[in-house]
Amino acid sequence: MNKTAMDLQRRVLALIGRGVDVTTTDAEFNELAQTVFAFQFAHNAVYRAYCEQLKLTPSTVSHWKEIPAVPTSAFKDFTITCFSAAEAVAVFHTSGTTADKSGKHFFKTLELYEAAIRPNFEAHLLPDLVGQASRLSMLEHATLDGRDARSTFQRMPMLVLTPSPEEAPHSSLVHMMGRVVADFGAPGSGFYVERGTLCVEWLVRALRKAEQTRQPVFLLGTAFAFVHLFDHLAGKNLRFKLPDGSRVMETGGFKGRTREMSKPDLYALFERWLGIPTARVVNEYGMTELSTQFYDQTLRVGNQTDRKAVPPWARVLIIDPRTGQEAVRGERGLIRIFDLASLWSAMCIQTEDLGVARDDGFEILGRAAGAEVRGCSLNAEAFQTR
Amino acid sequence: MPTLLEMSATLEKLNEAIRHTREARERVQRRGTDAIIRAVAQTAKNWLYPDSPWRRRAVEQAPASTGFSPQMVNDAVTLAFGALTEDAFETLLRKEVGDRRQFHGPRIIAHFLAGNVPSPGIVSICFGLLLKSANIVKVSSRDPVFPALFVKSLREVDAELADCVAVLDWRRDETELTHTALSDADAVIAYGDDETIATLGRLCRPDVHFVGYGHKLSFAVIAKEAMTAGNLPSLAEASAFDASVYDQQGCLSPHVFYVEEGGELSPRAFAEALAKAMAAYAERVPRGELSIEEAAQIAKLRGAYKFRAAADKSVAVWAEPASWLVIYEEDPMFTPSCLNRTVFVKPIKHLETVPQLVRRYASNLSTVGIAPLDEHTNVFATELAKIGVNRVCPIGQMQRPPLWWRHDGRPNIAALVRWKDTE
Repeated sequence: MNKTAMDLQRRVLALIGRGVDVTTTDAEFNELAQTVFAFQFAHNAVYRAYCEQLKLTPSTVSHWKEIPAVPTSAFKDFTITCFSAAEAVAVFHTSGTTADKSGKHFFKTLELYEAAIRPNFEAHLLPDLVGQASRLSMLEHATLDGRDARSTFQRMPMLVLTPSPEEAPHSSLVHMMGRVVADFGAPGSGFYVERGTLCVEWLVRALRKAEQTRQPVFLLGTAFAFVHLFDHLAGKNLRFKLPDGSRVMETGGFKGRTREMSKPDLYALFERWLGIPTARVVNEYGMTELSTQFYDQTLRVGNQTDRKAVPPWARVLIIDPRTGQEAVRGERGLIRIFDLASLWSAMCIQTEDLGVARDDGFEILGRAAGAEVRGCSLNAEAFQTR
Repeated sequence: MPTLLEMSATLEKLNEAIRHTREARERVQRRGTDAIIRAVAQTAKNWLYPDSPWRRRAVEQAPASTGFSPQMVNDAVTLAFGALTEDAFETLLRKEVGDRRQFHGPRIIAHFLAGNVPSPGIVSICFGLLLKSANIVKVSSRDPVFPALFVKSLREVDAELADCVAVLDWRRDETELTHTALSDADAVIAYGDDETIATLGRLCRPDVHFVGYGHKLSFAVIAKEAMTAGNLPSLAEASAFDASVYDQQGCLSPHVFYVEEGGELSPRAFAEALAKAMAAYAERVPRGELSIEEAAQIAKLRGAYKFRAAADKSVAVWAEPASWLVIYEEDPMFTPSCLNRTVFVKPIKHLETVPQLVRRYASNLSTVGIAPLDEHTNVFATELAKIGVNRVCPIGQMQRPPLWWRHDGRPNIAALVRWKDTE
């Protein structure tokens, strides 16, 4: 690892270490983003060729908004790294909807990735529990009487509706789940998908125990897995009233699944079958191609919102697909993410999701792929679902 | 001009329309087919003058609902009404019913139009008139203008005939209206997505003659003989026309151009020339305004291929984000386009490989444009027919199917008539 790269990694780690409440000014973000851009331009030949084709290089780009974005599809076609992929310590695979090729995100180190998980997760999923102690320790790099700040809050069992990291070593979502369970879970935490099957009986037992012992629990999983759970509970007419403080992180949408459900419909089911109010259900937006996650601000503001927060080491732009330029504020467009934690792969990612910019973040409106298409001519989309 | 409000149907209005067109039908039974053809052809002629008031009205009113640019609507008028000549109707009758004119058409035909391109709906109404049927036409909210204006223009030429057609609109979820329209019809002609067709088909009585035109796609093939420097500009212009017209919304719009290698010029040279010609057509006839979703589909495709093209020389991209997109890709597998003037150009070693490349889409194939269309390529066309292609034509004619084209490979009029045989 060369010195510049290590220095850059230290700088990004320091920025992440400040936590989510210390914002970055445009100038500060711009300076670091341009340095990362120059690094990635220099060390990724495919990306450099693309930038040169667009005539957008470190010598011509003057603002982070101009930095060329790597389309998510590029992770299928190329190795998007600034190091030799053979040295990767981890590889996360995308779950392709079209079943052709899956994309791969190679990691030289998981340091940045894991550092980015913690402060963001704490702030948006455990704001009521971590509180001052953690934030203080973050700012001053202090430990409280030698104890980690994280051990000072009330941990709760985390019931995760995904496979375990051992079973799914190439899933970035599962890796993240493993990380947060290790960091924040109480005894009794566990993964409830085995060999592709949701272990509903075990889950029901865990929920019953939580209800009986009045122990709040934290459920995490894909929207699809939750629908599966609710189908089961509805079939058996099993209703829970989980203790106050219980919460949910759901993610992933319904990519490629036969059954889809709107967010309000899904959230009503959390209330109906688990007794968890919508104000305690948080949507996570993450992608294999990124190193940072984005969360609804629901638990921070105290009521259900679709507004996603952007941590200080990232930026989100909404791109008008008709012009390729930044969309007028409040107009819909494609979500483009600048994520400094992706130092060794690609900082600027063009997603295929539609969103809208808000003053304090952004909202996700679903995948562009779900677009309604006019015309009697069959198009690519119609065939994807076959 | 019937406003949308006038066309929007209530049960009472629909029943009245059925009664009214039925009575009108009785009155036209005595008339000869020739007279009907003359009236329809004259009506079409009235649209074709550059300063025709009907053309002008369509150009004014159709862009809002169809999403086409005014210039596109203008070209659509020429394409749709240019096909409705007396000769074309005569050829149609000769091909489908021969000299035997002793037939009866259905008493009532219910037409369910799709509205993505205007021509099929107008042709459908013309067939109904030719059969002296009463016609209940349910338009699509995408295009209420063309069918309504057409009937209005017919009324000016021949009010008795125009009385045989009622143009109405109702929403898909107004099932009582759909049931009413279907319950009285002897024949139903429906255009739309496969689901719409299947649903309507299920709702019909078993004795009703149901004709459904579902989703189709088309492509083009260029043999190496056509890839000469002298031929390229006109070939590219004709190709760009086929791919750009109706913003690629029609079943006859090509998604892919297969270009045979080994000609004087390379397939890549064709892609480049096509891009230039797409730009020229867009200059004259702009693409319609796209929804964010449609634009996002194109942006996604453009972004993915542009990134690939930087490092992978088997791929190349030409694009005008607001107008068109040409993707050159050496992988020859057929790729359906996301439409709105988005086309793939793919090189092939030999024409003979094409059927294999498109086989996955066999049940949805419609038209193949071929250049040049000669004896050699005709043999190839026969092979295409075997896998389901039902129309082969020269490139540049893909969007100009003759009136007598057996739409989706089936007879148009012959399928709907009842013969009277006398021994």
